[in-house]
Amino acid sequence: MTAIDVKDLKVERSGKAVLHGIRFSVQVGEVFALLGGNGAGKSTTLLTLLGFLPVAAGSVSLNGISPSANVKKIRDQVAYLPEAATLYPHLNAYENLGYFLSLSKLKLSKAELDATLEKVDLQTDARSQKMETYSKGMRQKVSIALALLRDTPILLLDEPTSGLDPVAIDEFNRLVRSLAAEGRTILMVTHDVYGACQVADRIGLLRGGELVGLFGSNEGQKIDTQTVHKAFTERTGAKRAVS
Amino acid sequence: MRHEFFFLIKDRAALLWMTIAFISAMMAVLLGVSEVYQQRTALAELQKLDRVERELTLDAQSDWGNAAYYTFHLTYDPPSDFAFAAFGERDVSPWKHRIRMLALEGQIYETDADNPDFALIGRFDYSFVAALLTPLLIILLLYDLRSGELAAGRLNLIKTSAGQAKRVWLMRSTLRLGGLYLALLTPLWIGGVIEGTPTSTLLSASLALLIYTLFWGALVYLIANERRTGSANLTYLTGIWLLVCAVLPALLVLTVNKSVSLPNGGDIVLTQREAVNDAWDIPKDVTYKAFLERHPTWTDFTGWDGDKGFEWKWYYAFQQVGDQKAEALSQNYRKAREQRDALIGKASFISPASLLQRQLEKLAHTDMKASLAYEESIRDYHKQLRKWHYPRIFSNKPFSSDAALAEIPKYQNVLERK
Ligand SMILES: Nc1ncnc2c1ncn2[C@@H]1O[C@H](COP(=O)(O)OP(=O)(O)O)[C@@H](O)[C@H]1O
Ligand SMILES: [Mg+2]
Repeated sequence: MTAIDVKDLKVERSGKAVLHGIRFSVQVGEVFALLGGNGAGKSTTLLTLLGFLPVAAGSVSLNGISPSANVKKIRDQVAYLPEAATLYPHLNAYENLGYFLSLSKLKLSKAELDATLEKVDLQTDARSQKMETYSKGMRQKVSIALALLRDTPILLLDEPTSGLDPVAIDEFNRLVRSLAAEGRTILMVTHDVYGACQVADRIGLLRGGELVGLFGSNEGQKIDTQTVHKAFTERTGAKRAVS
Repeated sequence: MRHEFFFLIKDRAALLWMTIAFISAMMAVLLGVSEVYQQRTALAELQKLDRVERELTLDAQSDWGNAAYYTFHLTYDPPSDFAFAAFGERDVSPWKHRIRMLALEGQIYETDADNPDFALIGRFDYSFVAALLTPLLIILLLYDLRSGELAAGRLNLIKTSAGQAKRVWLMRSTLRLGGLYLALLTPLWIGGVIEGTPTSTLLSASLALLIYTLFWGALVYLIANERRTGSANLTYLTGIWLLVCAVLPALLVLTVNKSVSLPNGGDIVLTQREAVNDAWDIPKDVTYKAFLERHPTWTDFTGWDGDKGFEWKWYYAFQQVGDQKAEALSQNYRKAREQRDALIGKASFISPASLLQRQLEKLAHTDMKASLAYEESIRDYHKQLRKWHYPRIFSNKPFSSDAALAEIPKYQNVLERK
């Protein structure tokens, strides 16, 4: 069953075409990684799915609903982790989670919050400190926890591992796998080839607003990092020595 | 709601602005209360002195003419029980006059040598805080409501979390406006309790402030969007504030003053004094003729006793004629002020700040209407004085200081008569 469907999507930002007709779909329970360099259009794709940017041509739908038809219904089913997410620096982790969850009309006990903060491995003693004292990685963990706590069928994650240390990235990847095992659909955006290969069922390679490659895992085998890396550096035109 | 309230409690900047609102409003109220207290003390003192002085003066007299000449009578316009909140006209027009039986117009406008300025912004009182600071504080509380979230990278998260973020913005705005409203209103009610202001007056003022707060809240809410940066929003809004609260009222007053010319208060004084001075040199029957037009009752009493060069009845007749000569000017002056006030009142619909200030001044009886009413009450009182004195002076009744003390009409203020 298709959870996310992107068909020949064109998006313009400030009058300039940013996505030039990309097409991919994500099945329920699948982890899909959108891989690409800076400015490839990854964030733009997520923002369009959430109804923040208008579709210039083509279509997008989540669980069969298009954002232009009912944006609220989509946002109810989707947890979103924004790029470089910052919660309120003057509140602590509990307060931030409590506040943002209240926006989604969710009320969770401290024990439930703690259980999820445990999952993302945020130090216990930091949890009741103001978030302005957090490192980038710690802030990212709270944002991830927030996305998890929303308990939605679909998760859209924009660079979720940025700022995390290698150990935390590994744990995050494991977490993502377990979410998929629960039947949740995850579309994550990253420029981390290795991480994407670790966690994704399929990878879409985005370059200059075009989908230039699709890689899939076979029978539980992880996607081959080398293949993707090669495609990524070649096709994205990453700098090569010209001497 | 509970969460938004908690959120507000944690918002230092918002709390700071509300505290500033409370402190400024409280300061304005305390200043107002102490000003009003001083005015009352001054009036009580003056009333006492007035009594003592009159007794001393009258005791030393032997005829009605001299008695009327030397005796001062205090008239006054005591501050109302809400005057602490809006000084209004009391700031520029006198609220006490000691008058004599002489020509009156000059006595009223003695201090008005210049045209009274129509107070534009006026002194620091509660109406100033309410009309000028309230919008500014609302701007500071709300200008960055959405743009700030965008800049911090939270806007999309809030929108996805809430589904429809409008509810969030409305709730946040409402709580902030509510907090500000309470911060501004509490001092007013404290002042009201100190002054014994009727609840209905306080409620009317509260309603006016509520409408004003909602107006500005809605304006700022609509203008401060996330398509502009916070600083751009702030610039726009302070521009609008300046326009609506300062430039427009100034233009308005300027235009009205241009279109309705105001006779000079000093001219009235001059006209009346010249008329009185000239009277010494013009034939007495000319003066009497003018006088008797108004007071035919005394036709048979204007004869001249032999070769006396001076008679009190003639003296008071020409004082009265002096007033008659200045009457037209004085009426124009009053009418022009009324007209200006009415025009400004109508036009202030383009400036909510003026509208609120005028509403508070109306409640405080410190508006132009109240000021003109006080002037009129002085004229009425002066008429009573003349009416009481003329029979005694014209028919040369024997003087009695006891009768004078007991019977000379006492000034009564509109507020006291109520
Ligand atoms: N707010 C914006 N207004 C106009 N253009 C933008 C905006 N944000 C991004 N872009 C442009 O859109 C393109 C894709 O950006 P983005 O989707 O953020 O890339 P990625 O997330 O893959 O790094 C870039 O060329 C970028 O310059
Ligand atoms: Mg991006």
